[in-house]
Amino acid sequence: MASEPANTATQRAVETLAWKLRRRQIVGSRATALETLLVLRQVISKSRFSNMEQLVAIIRAVGRRLVEAQPKEHSVGNTVRKVLHHIREEYHTATKGTATTSSGGFSISKFVLLGQPRKQAAPPKTESKGTLKENDPDDPDSFARSLKPVLMEAIQDVLDELETVYDNVSKNAQNHIHSDEIILTLGMSKTVEHFLISAAHNRNYTVMVLETAPSYGGRDMAKTLSAAGISTFLVPDSSLYGLMSRVNKVILGAHAILANGGMFAITGSLLAATAAQEHCTPVVVCAGQFKLTPLWNLYHEYGALDFGDPSQVLGFEEGSLVDKVDVVNPFYDYVQPNLIDAFITNDGDHPPSSIYRLIKETYDDEDNVL
Amino acid sequence: MAPKVASGKEKLIDEDDEVLQAVILADSFDKLFRPLTTRTPRCLLPVCNAPLLDWTFESLALAGVQEIFVICRSHAEKVKQAISESKWSRPGSGIKIVPIMTAKETFSAGDAMRDVYTRGLVTSDFVLVMGDLVSNIRIDEVVRVHKERRKTNKDAIMTMVVKESGAAHRTRPQGDSSVFVLDAETSECLHYEPVSAYPRTAMTRIPREVLESHPEIEIRNDLIDCSIDVCSVEVPSLFQDNFDYEDIRRDFLHGVLTSDLLMKNIYCYVAKDGYAARVKDTKSYESVSKDILSRWTFPLVPDDNHPGGHVYQHSRAPAKSGNNTLIGASTKIHENAQVTGSVIGRNCVIGAGSIIDGSYIFDGTVIGPQCVVKRSIIGAGVTIKEKTRVEKGCLVGDGVVVGPLAVLDSFERLSKRRNAPGEDEEEDDDDDDEEGDDDEEDDDDEEDDDDDEEDDEEEDDDEEEEEDSEIEEIEANQDKTSSILGKDSNAIVWPRGPSEDDGDGDGEDLAAYKNQRARRLGDEGSDLGVSDEGSDSSDAESDDESSDDDSGNDFYMSGDTGTSPLATPTLIPSGQMQEKEFRIEVAQSLERAFAEGHSVDNAAVELKTLRMASNVPLSRVREAVVAAIVEAVKIVDGAAAQRKEISRVVGRWGELINKIGGVDAVETVSALQMHCASSDRFPLFGQILAELYQTDIVEEDDIRAWYKTPAAKGVGLAAGPTAENVKRCWAVGGKMIEQFDEQESESEDESE
Repeated sequence: MASEPANTATQRAVETLAWKLRRRQIVGSRATALETLLVLRQVISKSRFSNMEQLVAIIRAVGRRLVEAQPKEHSVGNTVRKVLHHIREEYHTATKGTATTSSGGFSISKFVLLGQPRKQAAPPKTESKGTLKENDPDDPDSFARSLKPVLMEAIQDVLDELETVYDNVSKNAQNHIHSDEIILTLGMSKTVEHFLISAAHNRNYTVMVLETAPSYGGRDMAKTLSAAGISTFLVPDSSLYGLMSRVNKVILGAHAILANGGMFAITGSLLAATAAQEHCTPVVVCAGQFKLTPLWNLYHEYGALDFGDPSQVLGFEEGSLVDKVDVVNPFYDYVQPNLIDAFITNDGDHPPSSIYRLIKETYDDEDNVL
Repeated sequence: MAPKVASGKEKLIDEDDEVLQAVILADSFDKLFRPLTTRTPRCLLPVCNAPLLDWTFESLALAGVQEIFVICRSHAEKVKQAISESKWSRPGSGIKIVPIMTAKETFSAGDAMRDVYTRGLVTSDFVLVMGDLVSNIRIDEVVRVHKERRKTNKDAIMTMVVKESGAAHRTRPQGDSSVFVLDAETSECLHYEPVSAYPRTAMTRIPREVLESHPEIEIRNDLIDCSIDVCSVEVPSLFQDNFDYEDIRRDFLHGVLTSDLLMKNIYCYVAKDGYAARVKDTKSYESVSKDILSRWTFPLVPDDNHPGGHVYQHSRAPAKSGNNTLIGASTKIHENAQVTGSVIGRNCVIGAGSIIDGSYIFDGTVIGPQCVVKRSIIGAGVTIKEKTRVEKGCLVGDGVVVGPLAVLDSFERLSKRRNAPGEDEEEDDDDDDEEGDDDEEDDDDEEDDDDDEEDDEEEDDDEEEEEDSEIEEIEANQDKTSSILGKDSNAIVWPRGPSEDDGDGDGEDLAAYKNQRARRLGDEGSDLGVSDEGSDSSDAESDDESSDDDSGNDFYMSGDTGTSPLATPTLIPSGQMQEKEFRIEVAQSLERAFAEGHSVDNAAVELKTLRMASNVPLSRVREAVVAAIVEAVKIVDGAAAQRKEISRVVGRWGELINKIGGVDAVETVSALQMHCASSDRFPLFGQILAELYQTDIVEEDDIRAWYKTPAAKGVGLAAGPTAENVKRCWAVGGKMIEQFDEQESESEDESE
């Protein structure tokens, strides 16, 4: 097994990231996903292993540590699962010479065509072929040495995907937004921002941004959108319902997309989605694939919402109130699948009901619990 | 040594690469938590199920501190052990924590700072906090502001972090708040005065100089003093130079602000965002716990980044327990038990039908069925047997057994009887239990009881001996308590009332005790049913208090009243002592000057030095100088000869009055009046005043201003010969003013 002293540097990198996650020094799903990936790359490049099981165990241990540090940043676990999935794929390619076929861009139409979900049976364990030798007693490092370059490539793929996620999500933006539409959005989401700006290249439309109290991310969003030349209105949260009748489409960002097709999204999303349902306005969610989370009913709905401090709502200096009022300030809303019409990801467009399939494709079943 | 010096020089070039250091004073230097702290240091008491010190570490880690020195005194071994066993010692924590054990002779924060200096611990600007801090303030931001300021002003030696709170706030302790006078623009701290709850501080006095040099000031009584100080390296050395500094606020801050020689500035950082508070007393223990549970300390909250490393789940209140309740792992709560607004440790058992309200129960405590516990702190491993009532404000020490059917009155304090005959067996049982608990726990913040016993016996340390003797004394005084505490109890009841509360043992005890009451858990003052005469500290009064403080009419009084404007009520006896000595010294020094014919300037320098040495306010010096000059006037027969004598003395030395460091003629006149009234030179008052007027030491306006002050009329003086004389002096002044008026009208007439 890997010797302890050699691992102290990577150990420290893992711990440092765990601390940062705990202390909320890294927030946001993409930032955490990127950091996780960088740490995983370091771990894989430094660690020593002589067969696949050891490698998987190492990565899982690191993943578990990071997920425990901050169970509410789901993209950490997702990234680890994704890396594990890619590693297995590369391993099978190297050992069998044939890659498990990846379906590539997955879309609603293909889903209908494909019909039955593809069974993802674990390939039978075959003895290593070619140059790849596991558990070589003479040279225990040979497995790692020959596999590492491919692994690095696999991680680079994931990294590239993360880096291009905004562009890939928004490449079809013009197909979703039509001219003279009125779009409603809320909060500050980079994905939604890119999506709207990309659509504005070809379409001329109007965006209404809710202020999104208490974080007021909507104000920043409105600023960037209007700077990009989109006609933008910043509206108070309270006018949401009144405006909804005029809105053609609600576009939301997500914090995590759950396996049942629901999602965690910034506070206010549930309200917007419910109002939209009342007016039969379509609700579209833009999110990168790394937000797909193979979990649902995490803890229970209440605890998973991640509560912030009350100071955004009630000033600490209001001494007489602080003692008598309990302020509940959740970061996220849980939006049920029936309120969402479509997810637009960098891997195609999906209805909430097919998210489970997407998750099955993206991750290996055995990694659902790290 | 050499590289260190070099790095010190490089500091100017790349300041950002410096390691941010912090010094934690992990000793409280008081006994407000006893008997909970007889076996465990305060900084290891659990707050929301994690040791207080871990909250402090986490607060500092959040701010990017990389190196922490923990100065510990009482139970230093335990603190050291706790640190070495904590997650902070594991690789990857990114923080280096060095426990420093100071000598047992360290009795105050000042001593600890001197220790920091002698050990040479800090190499650059550092953060000084107490070992009972819970905060999520971005201290690194404060450090940045501090360093920025240092670039332009080398004399800005310290930045204190204060947090705004409202007029009445649970986290701003009633008995321990303070008045800050800040420059509105730069938030430089200009004056500081502590506010005590008993006797209630009703007014504050602001030195005249403050108003002179700053056009706009803020007088604030709504600030929580977080005791987070960003200090420059000079700070420990200032403590070293002034060996009598004890408290960082009362002595050091006050000393620096009032000193004419140091010319150092101290600034405040009024934190807008974030939370910071200290667990200074049982009352703030409660309020900080509540603040943590209502997530003011986010991200330092139990379900997110719990410093003890436990995992908690945030949930909407289940049927059994109310909101804002924290329940530790492996704790069993039986049917029909109600738990509201409380913190319960790990491995506890709450019996069926018990009611726990607003209480803090440490690990491994068993509460039997049908018990009632209200607003109390129950230590670790306590057994409360069935149908026991614990009224509010009780402190129950570790390992106590109470009940069954016991009733603890409000504010009762219990601790375990040591080595009592017949109790040994039971004690052993307790120990076994505790050990079992520790095995299950993932971090051993709680100490085993048997360790404690050994420590107590092995360590030859004065404090523990002192404590032991105290406990023995208390044990000796136990009579028929067992009837109250239930037949199975192993507890001793700590005496109430002022006598044992703090070890000073003199007349201030009652005041100190009442002051402490204001800081006690659950002591509201408003609930007159249980509290006795010490209930002055009600919330309603605090409002008046703040308005008093803010009203402007206190200022002018600093000029004409005889009491020291700066001494705190509790310090008066020592202050008087100092003043007496000072008066004698001044008299002697001036006598020498008069006799040997020194120049006025030399005498003034000598007076200044004396003033610095004994740290007295300017008005005292003025009084002493005026007194000395009056006494220097010989009484001679004959009005003309007398006048000549007066003009000789005043002409030669009168100038000195205005050279002692500030001109305040009104004060001079009232000093003259006060001195003459109580001296045999009373008849000379008018003549001396006239002479002072002639030599331009006092102006006509000053005499008029003095004449109008209430003190000049003898208001507030006890009836007696002195008061009589004061009134007569005032009458003399009145005549003089009449003369002025006549002269004026004459001159007016002439001009017309």
